[in-house]
Amino acid sequence: MAAHHQDEPVKASVFAAALAGAALATVTLAQTPDNPPSILVSRQLAELEQIAVGDQVRLATDEQGTDARVFRVAGIYEPTPDPMRLGAVPREVRLHLTDLLALTRDQATPAGTEHVESINVALHDPNEAGAFAADVNARMPGVFARPAIGAAGAGSTFVVLERFHLAIAAVTIVAATVFLLALSIMLVDERRATVGVLRLIGLPARRILVQVLLEGLLIASVGAIFGLMLAVASEGLINGFFQWRYDTALIFVKVTPTVAATCLAIAVPLGAAATVAASWALLRRSGLRLARR
Amino acid sequence: MRGALAFAWRSLVRQPARATLGILGVAAVGALLLDMLLLSQGLVTSMQDLLDSTGFDIRVAAQDPIPGEPDIADGPAAAAQIATLPSVSAAISVRTEDADIQIGSARPTRSAFVGVSGGRARPWTVLRGNDISPSPGGFGAARNHELVLNEDAARSIGAAPGSIVSVKAYCSGGAEAAPPISFRVTGIAEFPFDAPNQSGAGTTSASLADACGTPDSRAADIVMVTSAGDPDATASAIAALRPDLQTFTNNQAVGQLQQRGFTYFRQISTVLTTITVSFALLLITVLLTVSVNQRLGEVAALRALGFSQRRVVLDVLFESALIVGTGGLLSLPLGAALAIWLDSILKRMPNLPAALHFFVFDPNALWIHAGLLASTAVIAALYPMRIVARLPIAATLRDEVIG
Repeated sequence: MAAHHQDEPVKASVFAAALAGAALATVTLAQTPDNPPSILVSRQLAELEQIAVGDQVRLATDEQGTDARVFRVAGIYEPTPDPMRLGAVPREVRLHLTDLLALTRDQATPAGTEHVESINVALHDPNEAGAFAADVNARMPGVFARPAIGAAGAGSTFVVLERFHLAIAAVTIVAATVFLLALSIMLVDERRATVGVLRLIGLPARRILVQVLLEGLLIASVGAIFGLMLAVASEGLINGFFQWRYDTALIFVKVTPTVAATCLAIAVPLGAAATVAASWALLRRSGLRLARR
Repeated sequence: MRGALAFAWRSLVRQPARATLGILGVAAVGALLLDMLLLSQGLVTSMQDLLDSTGFDIRVAAQDPIPGEPDIADGPAAAAQIATLPSVSAAISVRTEDADIQIGSARPTRSAFVGVSGGRARPWTVLRGNDISPSPGGFGAARNHELVLNEDAARSIGAAPGSIVSVKAYCSGGAEAAPPISFRVTGIAEFPFDAPNQSGAGTTSASLADACGTPDSRAADIVMVTSAGDPDATASAIAALRPDLQTFTNNQAVGQLQQRGFTYFRQISTVLTTITVSFALLLITVLLTVSVNQRLGEVAALRALGFSQRRVVLDVLFESALIVGTGGLLSLPLGAALAIWLDSILKRMPNLPAALHFFVFDPNALWIHAGLLASTAVIAALYPMRIVARLPIAATLRDEVIG
């Protein structure tokens, strides 16, 4: 599909409002001014071909412009971000269903007998989507209705990608935990003389362990908060870069309260536990042995 | 050199807990690094292998495909025309529709229904039984309809070579089905692009047209071509012969996929590789620095005993190399196991061919992995090496004694 402000045809995808189908059309600047039907043009196509609101364009289903029809550009729209079409610049036009059918109808097909791929239905009460779909399926054999929410199912691409990200996160946490333990052992070892003196002046191992735990909690909390701040700060940078790279409004990274809470819930106990685990072996030794140089 | 290595080994063995944890940490990070390197090219390599495995090295499609519609109006004629080129070994037109296949009144299975015409080459491999016969009489002529089923379809409906099945086709994306017609199953075949648990069937284009209720239709989605030699030259010859169609070799198809469809995994691979290496670098630097700081007195004593500056610096470098090297070696089997697990997660994406893999072994990835880990070992050791190299011997010994 194509669009152009001059007379050269430009390819673009054409979508009909209320129709989840697509067709191919050629878009060229039109000369006829008489009240043509309106269309919307995607921002990307408008920028590429310098199309402005109020322009008149011709749409045709082939590059030769056969049976082209004139349309008026009523507006420029930002396409709904679609992760499945990442990397493809959306050169799209949206028009009324009747206009699309008139444009694409085969001469042998009588008007009104065309097929559509799907019909989107908005209910007064969205909670009745399941019951409504079941009712339609029972009353209209040959038509399949389903609620839009969860329609992709558990095996959809994004559910699978979410599982993949979780798996990567799990491996990263394992690696980080191992390193954290190693560092904790070294740091605790560095303070063995101090711990030995504390034991010698009468502090019980339990008291020192609580102190170590509190210290671990404090360090882990500060570290986790710093990590979250880093994530929030880099969120804009990452989104900005990828939105520029793919010319899309898609949000790639979003630190939601749930994500932040999950991070804190994992990082803080893990950090504190690593400190306590590293200190445990040290505290089982006698004060004299620890304080000995 | 050997002495420095042995000394570094003893330093690690003397503190087994921290050494073991350091090595395990590097192994985990190294495994993730290896997997990200495999992921960066895995899908592309796998897709290339999959395309090449079909035996066709050029694809010809319509310039402006319309979603849900067959793209080439004269598929068999286009295939026959392309087959006349001297550089072409075989050319077939392929059309794919949906169909419900069943035996008698048993429960049907929804299948991808592929129709081919032109020559004897087929986009499937017969596993049992026989292949379909070429259509006698051409389009619109009365014929005995034959098909091959894939394992999933045969298992779903309980069919075997020789079974008679009923096929109800749904063509051109429409919801209306043509009346069912009978087919004889000649064999069980493997279709390279089948998704897991996806039923598939293959027949001639003429039989598919009959099943669609449009016996005169010559529509096709694509023409698949086997070149006699150079695919690029053959693709150019086809493009000159049929400028109304779009011609691309397997390499060009993979290149386009790499540009559009596979960017996500390349990007995530790059990001995670960078993060993983930085993470390993930071942590090994910290491990070595803390370790060296705890042994400053020991290092100063060694220098006082006559160990050269170069020797103690090498000790630190080898300590880093031993941690990263041992961890790196452990990361290979760990990475392989992790790759199998991650691949099994990603392969649950809908409609992916079963033969497609996200993580594919590539010797280059192994070299890059080794190079990155070696660089990490050296760079991570730089700061602790500097501490050791600039250590004031007398002052350090005095501090140790007084402290």
